[in-house]
Amino acid sequence: MTTDPTAHFSIVTGSAEPIYRQLAEQVKRRIAAGQLAPGDEMPSVRELAQALAVNPMTVSKAYSQLEAQGVLERRRGLSMVVAARAGPAPRVSDRAELLRPTLERAAIEAHQLGLSEARALALFKTILQETQPADAP
Amino acid sequence: MNQAITAPPTVAVDHLRLAYGNKPVLDNLRWQLQPGQVVGLLGRNGAGKTSLLESLLGLRDGTTGTVRLFGQPLDRLDDATRARIGYAPQHSDLFEWMTPAQLLAYFKSFYPRWNDAKVDALLDRWAIDREMPIGKLSGGEQQRLSIIRALGHEPDLLVLDEPVASLDPAGRRDFLQELVEQVIVRGTTVIFSTHILSDLERVAFHVGFLSGGRIIVQAPLDELMEGTRSLVGPQQALQQAARTRGWQVLGESPLADGRARMLARAGSDAPPSSLAGIEVSSVTLEDLFMGLTR
Repeated sequence: MTTDPTAHFSIVTGSAEPIYRQLAEQVKRRIAAGQLAPGDEMPSVRELAQALAVNPMTVSKAYSQLEAQGVLERRRGLSMVVAARAGPAPRVSDRAELLRPTLERAAIEAHQLGLSEARALALFKTILQETQPADAP
Repeated sequence: MNQAITAPPTVAVDHLRLAYGNKPVLDNLRWQLQPGQVVGLLGRNGAGKTSLLESLLGLRDGTTGTVRLFGQPLDRLDDATRARIGYAPQHSDLFEWMTPAQLLAYFKSFYPRWNDAKVDALLDRWAIDREMPIGKLSGGEQQRLSIIRALGHEPDLLVLDEPVASLDPAGRRDFLQELVEQVIVRGTTVIFSTHILSDLERVAFHVGFLSGGRIIVQAPLDELMEGTRSLVGPQQALQQAARTRGWQVLGESPLADGRARMLARAGSDAPPSSLAGIEVSSVTLEDLFMGLTR
Protein backbone atom coordinates (compact mmCIF):
# COMPACT_ATOMS: atom_id res chain seq x y z
CA MET A 1 0.00 0.00 0.00
CA THR A 2 1.37 3.40 -0.90
CA THR A 3 0.69 6.35 1.32
CA ASP A 4 -0.22 9.60 -0.30
CA PRO A 5 2.37 12.16 0.84
CA THR A 6 -0.20 14.93 0.65
CA ALA A 7 -2.52 13.18 3.11
CA HIS A 8 -0.68 14.60 6.13
CA PHE A 9 -1.50 18.16 5.20
CA SER A 10 -4.72 19.93 5.92
CA ILE A 11 -5.79 23.52 6.02
CA VAL A 12 -8.61 25.48 7.54
CA THR A 13 -10.13 28.55 5.98
CA GLY A 14 -11.59 31.47 7.91
CA SER A 15 -8.59 31.48 10.25
CA ALA A 16 -6.37 34.47 11.07
CA GLU A 17 -3.40 32.27 10.16
CA PRO A 18 -2.67 32.50 6.42
CA ILE A 19 -2.72 29.18 4.59
CA TYR A 20 0.98 29.24 3.75
CA ARG A 21 1.79 29.60 7.43
CA GLN A 22 -0.53 26.72 8.39
CA LEU A 23 1.36 24.49 5.96
CA ALA A 24 4.77 25.61 7.22
CA GLU A 25 3.80 25.02 10.84
CA GLN A 26 2.54 21.53 10.02
CA VAL A 27 5.88 20.59 8.50
CA LYS A 28 7.73 21.92 11.55
CA ARG A 29 5.47 20.05 13.96
CA ARG A 30 5.87 16.78 12.10
CA ILE A 31 9.65 17.16 12.05
CA ALA A 32 9.68 18.00 15.76
CA ALA A 33 7.59 14.92 16.50
CA GLY A 34 9.96 12.71 14.53
CA GLN A 35 7.33 11.87 11.91
CA LEU A 36 9.54 13.44 9.28
CA ALA A 37 13.26 12.73 9.19
CA PRO A 38 16.14 14.45 7.39
CA GLY A 39 16.06 13.54 3.71
CA ASP A 40 12.32 12.85 3.62
CA GLU A 41 10.79 14.28 0.51
CA MET A 42 7.95 16.81 0.47
CA PRO A 43 5.13 16.48 -2.06
CA SER A 44 5.73 18.69 -5.09
CA VAL A 45 4.15 22.13 -5.09
CA ARG A 46 1.78 21.01 -7.78
CA GLU A 47 0.74 17.80 -6.02
CA LEU A 48 0.03 19.54 -2.76
CA ALA A 49 -1.76 22.47 -4.40
CA GLN A 50 -4.02 20.09 -6.28
CA ALA A 51 -4.74 17.86 -3.30
CA LEU A 52 -5.72 20.80 -1.09
CA ALA A 53 -7.28 22.91 -3.89
CA VAL A 54 -5.09 25.88 -3.02
CA ASN A 55 -3.10 28.25 -5.19
CA PRO A 56 0.34 26.75 -6.03
CA MET A 57 1.98 30.06 -5.12
CA THR A 58 0.73 29.59 -1.57
CA VAL A 59 2.42 26.17 -1.29
CA SER A 60 5.51 27.60 -2.90
CA LYS A 61 5.60 30.40 -0.34
CA ALA A 62 5.41 27.89 2.54
CA TYR A 63 8.29 25.84 1.11
CA SER A 64 10.41 28.93 0.43
CA GLN A 65 9.95 30.14 3.97
CA LEU A 66 10.91 26.73 5.37
CA GLU A 67 13.95 26.67 3.10
CA ALA A 68 15.01 30.13 4.28
CA GLN A 69 14.69 28.93 7.88
CA GLY A 70 16.86 25.89 7.14
CA VAL A 71 14.02 23.45 7.78
CA LEU A 72 13.85 22.20 4.19
CA GLU A 73 16.47 22.11 1.49
CA ARG A 74 16.12 21.99 -2.24
CA ARG A 75 17.60 18.87 -3.75
CA ARG A 76 19.02 18.84 -7.22
CA GLY A 77 16.05 18.96 -9.50
CA LEU A 78 13.04 20.50 -7.90
CA SER A 79 12.10 18.42 -4.91
CA MET A 80 12.26 19.72 -1.37
CA VAL A 81 13.50 17.49 1.41
CA VAL A 82 13.78 17.82 5.17
CA ALA A 83 17.17 19.38 5.90
CA ALA A 84 19.88 17.44 7.64
CA ARG A 85 19.80 18.59 11.24
CA ALA A 86 22.96 19.90 12.84
CA GLY A 87 22.06 18.92 16.39
CA PRO A 88 20.18 16.09 18.08
CA ALA A 89 16.43 15.70 17.81
CA PRO A 90 14.54 18.55 19.48
CA ARG A 91 13.75 18.12 23.14
CA VAL A 92 10.23 17.73 24.41
CA SER A 93 10.27 21.31 25.73
CA ASP A 94 11.06 22.64 22.24
CA ARG A 95 8.34 20.53 20.72
CA ALA A 96 5.87 21.79 23.32
CA GLU A 97 6.77 25.35 22.39
CA LEU A 98 5.42 24.72 18.88
CA LEU A 99 2.01 24.21 20.41
CA ARG A 100 2.06 27.63 22.08
CA PRO A 101 0.43 29.74 19.31
CA THR A 102 -2.53 27.38 19.05
CA LEU A 103 -2.97 27.21 22.82
CA GLU A 104 -2.70 30.99 23.18
CA ARG A 105 -5.59 31.37 20.80
CA ALA A 106 -7.58 28.76 22.70
CA ALA A 107 -6.77 30.50 26.01
CA ILE A 108 -8.02 33.86 24.75
CA GLU A 109 -11.26 32.27 23.60
CA ALA A 110 -11.66 30.45 26.91
CA HIS A 111 -11.35 33.78 28.76
CA GLN A 112 -13.83 35.39 26.40
CA LEU A 113 -16.28 32.58 27.08
CA GLY A 114 -15.74 32.99 30.82
CA LEU A 115 -14.64 29.36 31.29
CA SER A 116 -12.80 28.44 34.48
CA GLU A 117 -9.23 27.18 34.23
CA ALA A 118 -10.31 23.75 35.44
CA ARG A 119 -13.12 23.55 32.91
CA ALA A 120 -10.85 24.52 30.01
CA LEU A 121 -8.11 22.09 31.05
CA ALA A 122 -10.61 19.26 31.48
CA LEU A 123 -11.90 19.89 27.97
CA PHE A 124 -8.38 19.86 26.53
CA LYS A 125 -7.67 16.58 28.31
CA THR A 126 -10.83 15.02 26.88
CA ILE A 127 -9.94 16.18 23.38
CA LEU A 128 -6.41 14.78 23.72
CA GLN A 129 -7.88 11.39 24.58
CA GLU A 130 -10.50 11.52 21.84
CA THR A 131 -7.99 12.40 19.14
CA GLN A 132 -5.20 10.02 20.17
CA PRO A 133 -4.03 8.12 17.07
CA ALA A 134 -4.74 4.40 17.26
CA ASP A 135 -1.08 3.47 16.75
CA ALA A 136 0.30 5.80 19.44
CA PRO A 137 2.40 4.19 22.18
CA MET B 1 5.88 33.61 -14.99
CA ASN B 2 9.06 35.32 -16.24
CA GLN B 3 7.02 36.92 -18.96
CA ALA B 4 5.67 39.29 -16.28
CA ILE B 5 8.85 41.31 -16.67
CA THR B 6 8.30 42.21 -20.29
CA ALA B 7 4.64 41.55 -21.07
CA PRO B 8 2.14 44.39 -20.64
CA PRO B 9 -0.42 44.01 -17.85
CA THR B 10 -3.12 41.51 -18.84
CA VAL B 11 -5.69 44.02 -17.68
CA ALA B 12 -5.11 47.76 -17.32
CA VAL B 13 -8.06 49.96 -16.41
CA ASP B 14 -7.88 53.72 -15.95
CA HIS B 15 -10.47 56.38 -15.13
CA LEU B 16 -13.28 53.89 -15.63
CA ARG B 17 -16.67 55.42 -14.91
CA LEU B 18 -20.15 54.04 -15.16
CA ALA B 19 -23.38 55.50 -13.80
CA TYR B 20 -26.97 54.36 -13.73
CA GLY B 21 -28.90 57.61 -13.97
CA ASN B 22 -27.38 59.81 -11.29
CA LYS B 23 -25.99 56.92 -9.33
CA PRO B 24 -22.29 56.31 -9.98
CA VAL B 25 -21.41 52.61 -9.99
CA LEU B 26 -17.78 52.77 -11.04
CA ASP B 27 -16.07 55.99 -10.12
CA ASN B 28 -12.72 56.80 -11.72
CA LEU B 29 -11.62 53.23 -11.13
CA ARG B 30 -8.02 52.14 -11.66
CA TRP B 31 -7.07 48.50 -11.76
CA GLN B 32 -4.20 46.40 -13.06
CA LEU B 33 -3.66 42.67 -13.30
CA GLN B 34 -0.28 41.24 -14.20
CA PRO B 35 0.09 38.06 -16.27
CA GLY B 36 -0.51 34.95 -14.19
CA GLN B 37 -2.15 36.71 -11.26
CA VAL B 38 -5.15 35.04 -9.68
CA VAL B 39 -7.28 37.76 -8.16
CA GLY B 40 -10.40 37.37 -6.07
CA LEU B 41 -12.76 40.32 -6.45
CA LEU B 42 -14.71 41.13 -3.29
CA GLY B 43 -17.49 43.60 -2.65
CA ARG B 44 -20.91 43.80 -1.10
CA ASN B 45 -24.07 43.13 -3.06
CA GLY B 46 -24.64 46.03 -5.42
CA ALA B 47 -21.03 47.22 -5.18
CA GLY B 48 -20.73 46.84 -8.95
CA LYS B 49 -18.67 43.66 -9.33
CA THR B 50 -20.65 42.39 -12.29
CA SER B 51 -20.66 45.88 -13.84
CA LEU B 52 -16.89 46.02 -13.49
CA LEU B 53 -16.31 42.57 -14.99
CA GLU B 54 -18.68 43.29 -17.88
CA SER B 55 -17.04 46.69 -18.47
CA LEU B 56 -13.64 45.01 -18.69
CA LEU B 57 -14.94 42.83 -21.49
CA GLY B 58 -16.77 45.58 -23.38
CA LEU B 59 -20.17 44.15 -22.55
CA ARG B 60 -21.46 47.26 -20.82
CA ASP B 61 -22.63 50.40 -22.63
CA GLY B 62 -22.11 53.87 -21.25
CA THR B 63 -18.69 53.47 -19.69
CA THR B 64 -15.96 56.09 -20.04
CA GLY B 65 -12.27 55.68 -19.39
CA THR B 66 -9.75 53.28 -20.84
CA VAL B 67 -9.48 49.52 -20.69
CA ARG B 68 -6.55 47.68 -22.24
CA LEU B 69 -6.37 43.90 -22.42
CA PHE B 70 -2.99 42.34 -23.24
CA GLY B 71 -1.85 45.87 -24.09
CA GLN B 72 -4.56 46.49 -26.69
CA PRO B 73 -7.34 49.07 -26.32
CA LEU B 74 -10.63 47.31 -25.70
CA ASP B 75 -12.35 48.89 -28.72
CA ARG B 76 -9.60 47.74 -31.07
CA LEU B 77 -8.95 44.16 -29.94
CA ASP B 78 -7.87 41.95 -32.79
CA ASP B 79 -9.37 38.50 -33.23
CA ALA B 80 -6.31 36.70 -31.92
CA THR B 81 -6.45 38.69 -28.68
CA ARG B 82 -10.20 38.20 -28.36
CA ALA B 83 -9.62 34.46 -28.57
CA ARG B 84 -7.37 34.66 -25.50
CA ILE B 85 -10.27 35.69 -23.25
CA GLY B 86 -12.70 33.37 -21.49
CA TYR B 87 -15.77 34.50 -19.55
CA ALA B 88 -18.34 32.66 -17.48
CA PRO B 89 -21.12 35.09 -16.56
CA GLN B 90 -23.10 34.93 -13.33
CA HIS B 91 -26.37 34.29 -15.11
CA SER B 92 -25.54 32.59 -18.31
CA ASP B 93 -28.08 32.99 -21.03
CA LEU B 94 -27.24 29.64 -22.52
CA PHE B 95 -29.35 28.64 -25.47
CA GLU B 96 -31.93 26.57 -23.68
CA TRP B 97 -33.20 24.68 -26.69
CA MET B 98 -29.74 23.47 -27.66
CA THR B 99 -28.03 20.43 -26.18
CA PRO B 100 -24.62 20.78 -24.50
CA ALA B 101 -23.03 19.02 -27.51
CA GLN B 102 -24.60 21.53 -29.94
CA LEU B 103 -23.73 24.52 -27.77
CA LEU B 104 -20.08 23.53 -27.45
CA ALA B 105 -19.80 22.81 -31.19
CA TYR B 106 -21.26 26.26 -31.84
CA PHE B 107 -18.75 28.00 -29.57
CA LYS B 108 -15.89 25.91 -30.90
CA SER B 109 -16.53 27.40 -34.35
CA PHE B 110 -15.59 30.86 -33.07
CA TYR B 111 -12.12 29.96 -31.88
CA PRO B 112 -8.93 29.05 -33.73
CA ARG B 113 -8.01 26.70 -30.90
CA TRP B 114 -10.30 24.36 -28.97
CA ASN B 115 -9.33 21.54 -26.64
CA ASP B 116 -11.83 18.77 -27.42
CA ALA B 117 -10.14 16.31 -25.09
CA LYS B 118 -10.39 18.68 -22.15
CA VAL B 119 -14.01 19.55 -22.91
CA ASP B 120 -14.92 15.87 -23.15
CA ALA B 121 -13.10 15.05 -19.94
CA LEU B 122 -14.91 17.83 -18.08
CA LEU B 123 -18.32 16.79 -19.42
CA ASP B 124 -17.59 13.27 -18.15
CA ARG B 125 -16.15 14.40 -14.84
CA TRP B 126 -19.09 16.67 -14.14
CA ALA B 127 -21.61 14.12 -15.50
CA ILE B 128 -23.34 16.46 -17.93
CA ASP B 129 -25.70 14.78 -20.38
CA ARG B 130 -24.51 15.90 -23.82
CA GLU B 131 -27.89 15.30 -25.47
CA MET B 132 -30.30 16.77 -22.92
CA PRO B 133 -31.77 20.19 -23.82
CA ILE B 134 -29.92 22.79 -21.75
CA GLY B 135 -33.20 24.16 -20.38
CA LYS B 136 -33.74 20.82 -18.62
CA LEU B 137 -30.35 20.77 -16.88
CA SER B 138 -30.19 21.76 -13.20
CA GLY B 139 -28.83 25.17 -12.20
CA GLY B 140 -25.56 23.58 -11.10
CA GLU B 141 -25.20 21.68 -14.38
CA GLN B 142 -25.87 24.83 -16.39
CA GLN B 143 -23.24 26.65 -14.37
CA ARG B 144 -20.71 23.89 -14.97
CA LEU B 145 -21.50 23.92 -18.67
CA SER B 146 -20.91 27.66 -18.73
CA ILE B 147 -17.51 27.11 -17.10
CA ILE B 148 -16.61 24.37 -19.61
CA ARG B 149 -17.57 26.71 -22.42
CA ALA B 150 -15.23 29.37 -20.97
CA LEU B 151 -12.34 26.89 -20.65
CA GLY B 152 -12.64 25.12 -24.04
CA HIS B 153 -10.35 27.49 -25.93
CA GLU B 154 -7.77 27.57 -23.10
CA PRO B 155 -7.90 31.32 -22.50
CA ASP B 156 -4.98 33.32 -21.10
CA LEU B 157 -7.43 35.57 -19.24
CA LEU B 158 -10.33 33.90 -17.49
CA VAL B 159 -13.10 36.00 -15.96
CA LEU B 160 -15.51 34.17 -13.67
CA ASP B 161 -18.47 36.00 -12.15
CA GLU B 162 -19.76 34.05 -9.12
CA PRO B 163 -18.76 30.74 -10.73
CA VAL B 164 -19.80 28.53 -7.85
CA ALA B 165 -23.03 30.14 -6.67
CA SER B 166 -25.19 27.19 -7.79
CA LEU B 167 -22.78 24.42 -6.81
CA ASP B 168 -22.92 22.35 -3.63
CA PRO B 169 -19.76 22.05 -1.47
CA ALA B 170 -18.55 18.92 -3.32
CA GLY B 171 -19.13 20.60 -6.67
CA ARG B 172 -17.30 23.70 -5.49
CA ARG B 173 -14.29 21.69 -4.32
CA ASP B 174 -14.19 19.86 -7.63
CA PHE B 175 -14.35 23.14 -9.51
CA LEU B 176 -11.54 24.63 -7.41
CA GLN B 177 -9.37 21.59 -8.07
CA GLU B 178 -10.02 21.92 -11.77
CA LEU B 179 -9.11 25.59 -11.57
CA VAL B 180 -5.82 24.80 -9.82
CA GLU B 181 -4.89 21.80 -11.95
CA GLN B 182 -5.81 23.03 -15.39
CA VAL B 183 -5.89 26.79 -15.27
CA ILE B 184 -3.66 28.29 -12.61
CA VAL B 185 -0.67 26.02 -13.25
CA ARG B 186 -0.74 27.11 -16.91
CA GLY B 187 -0.09 30.70 -15.82
CA THR B 188 -3.55 31.89 -16.80
CA THR B 189 -4.60 35.24 -15.40
CA VAL B 190 -7.82 34.70 -13.47
CA ILE B 191 -10.32 37.15 -11.99
CA PHE B 192 -13.14 35.71 -10.03
CA SER B 193 -15.82 37.24 -7.90
CA THR B 194 -17.51 35.29 -5.16
CA HIS B 195 -19.14 35.72 -1.78
CA ILE B 196 -17.81 32.39 -0.63
CA LEU B 197 -14.76 33.58 1.24
CA SER B 198 -13.40 30.10 1.97
CA ASP B 199 -13.11 29.35 -1.76
CA LEU B 200 -11.51 32.66 -2.43
CA GLU B 201 -8.99 32.15 0.36
CA ARG B 202 -7.85 28.88 -1.17
CA VAL B 203 -7.48 29.92 -4.75
CA ALA B 204 -6.90 33.66 -4.94
CA PHE B 205 -3.34 34.73 -4.24
CA HIS B 206 -4.35 38.39 -4.55
CA VAL B 207 -7.57 39.96 -3.37
CA GLY B 208 -9.13 43.20 -4.58
CA PHE B 209 -11.86 45.02 -2.68
CA LEU B 210 -14.43 47.00 -4.66
CA SER B 211 -16.16 49.70 -2.62
CA GLY B 212 -17.53 53.13 -3.47
CA GLY B 213 -16.92 52.47 -7.16
CA ARG B 214 -13.18 51.91 -6.76
CA ILE B 215 -10.72 49.14 -6.06
CA ILE B 216 -9.74 50.45 -2.64
CA VAL B 217 -7.17 47.78 -1.77
CA GLN B 218 -5.49 45.11 -3.83
CA ALA B 219 -2.75 43.00 -2.29
CA PRO B 220 -1.60 39.43 -1.75
CA LEU B 221 -4.05 38.04 0.79
CA ASP B 222 -1.27 36.65 3.02
CA GLU B 223 0.42 40.03 3.29
CA LEU B 224 -2.85 41.79 3.93
CA MET B 225 -3.74 39.40 6.77
CA GLU B 226 -0.29 39.54 8.32
CA GLY B 227 0.02 43.32 8.08
CA THR B 228 -3.44 44.21 9.35
CA ARG B 229 -4.70 44.24 12.94
CA SER B 230 -8.02 44.87 14.56
CA LEU B 231 -7.56 47.37 17.39
CA VAL B 232 -10.08 48.20 20.10
CA GLY B 233 -9.50 51.06 22.54
CA PRO B 234 -10.18 54.74 23.22
CA GLN B 235 -10.85 56.37 19.86
CA GLN B 236 -8.37 59.17 20.43
CA ALA B 237 -5.58 56.80 21.42
CA LEU B 238 -6.23 54.71 18.31
CA GLN B 239 -6.15 57.69 15.99
CA GLN B 240 -3.04 59.01 17.69
CA ALA B 241 -1.28 55.64 17.31
CA ALA B 242 -2.29 55.38 13.65
CA ARG B 243 -0.93 58.87 12.92
CA THR B 244 2.39 58.50 14.66
CA ARG B 245 3.05 55.02 13.33
CA GLY B 246 1.90 55.75 9.80
CA TRP B 247 -0.73 53.02 9.67
CA GLN B 248 -3.20 52.96 6.84
CA VAL B 249 -6.63 53.00 8.48
CA LEU B 250 -8.80 50.57 6.53
CA GLY B 251 -11.91 51.02 8.62
CA GLU B 252 -13.10 52.51 11.88
CA SER B 253 -16.34 52.07 13.76
CA PRO B 254 -17.29 53.75 17.04
CA LEU B 255 -18.21 51.69 20.09
CA ALA B 256 -19.70 52.90 23.39
CA ASP B 257 -17.88 55.20 25.85
CA GLY B 258 -15.61 56.96 23.36
CA ARG B 259 -14.05 53.69 22.30
CA ALA B 260 -13.72 52.43 18.75
CA ARG B 261 -12.69 49.46 16.67
CA MET B 262 -10.09 50.21 14.02
CA LEU B 263 -8.79 48.06 11.21
CA ALA B 264 -5.27 49.28 10.52
CA ARG B 265 -2.59 48.14 8.11
CA ALA B 266 1.01 48.63 9.17
CA GLY B 267 3.54 49.93 6.66
CA SER B 268 6.85 48.18 6.27
CA ASP B 269 7.17 47.51 10.01
CA ALA B 270 5.63 44.45 11.57
CA PRO B 271 2.29 45.29 13.15
CA PRO B 272 2.31 45.58 16.93
CA SER B 273 1.32 42.56 18.98
CA SER B 274 0.39 44.67 21.97
CA LEU B 275 -0.17 48.33 22.82
CA ALA B 276 -0.89 49.86 26.20
CA GLY B 277 -4.64 50.26 26.71
CA ILE B 278 -5.46 48.86 23.27
CA GLU B 279 -6.69 45.39 22.50
CA VAL B 280 -4.84 44.04 19.45
CA SER B 281 -5.98 41.01 17.48
CA SER B 282 -5.12 39.47 14.15
CA VAL B 283 -7.69 39.39 11.37
CA THR B 284 -9.41 36.88 9.14
CA LEU B 285 -10.50 37.42 5.56
CA GLU B 286 -14.03 37.96 6.87
CA ASP B 287 -12.80 40.77 9.19
CA LEU B 288 -11.13 42.38 6.18
CA PHE B 289 -14.28 42.02 4.10
CA MET B 290 -16.44 43.59 6.81
CA GLY B 291 -14.02 46.43 7.42
CA LEU B 292 -13.13 47.23 3.84
CA THR B 293 -16.44 47.02 2.03
CA ARG B 294 -19.45 49.26 2.55
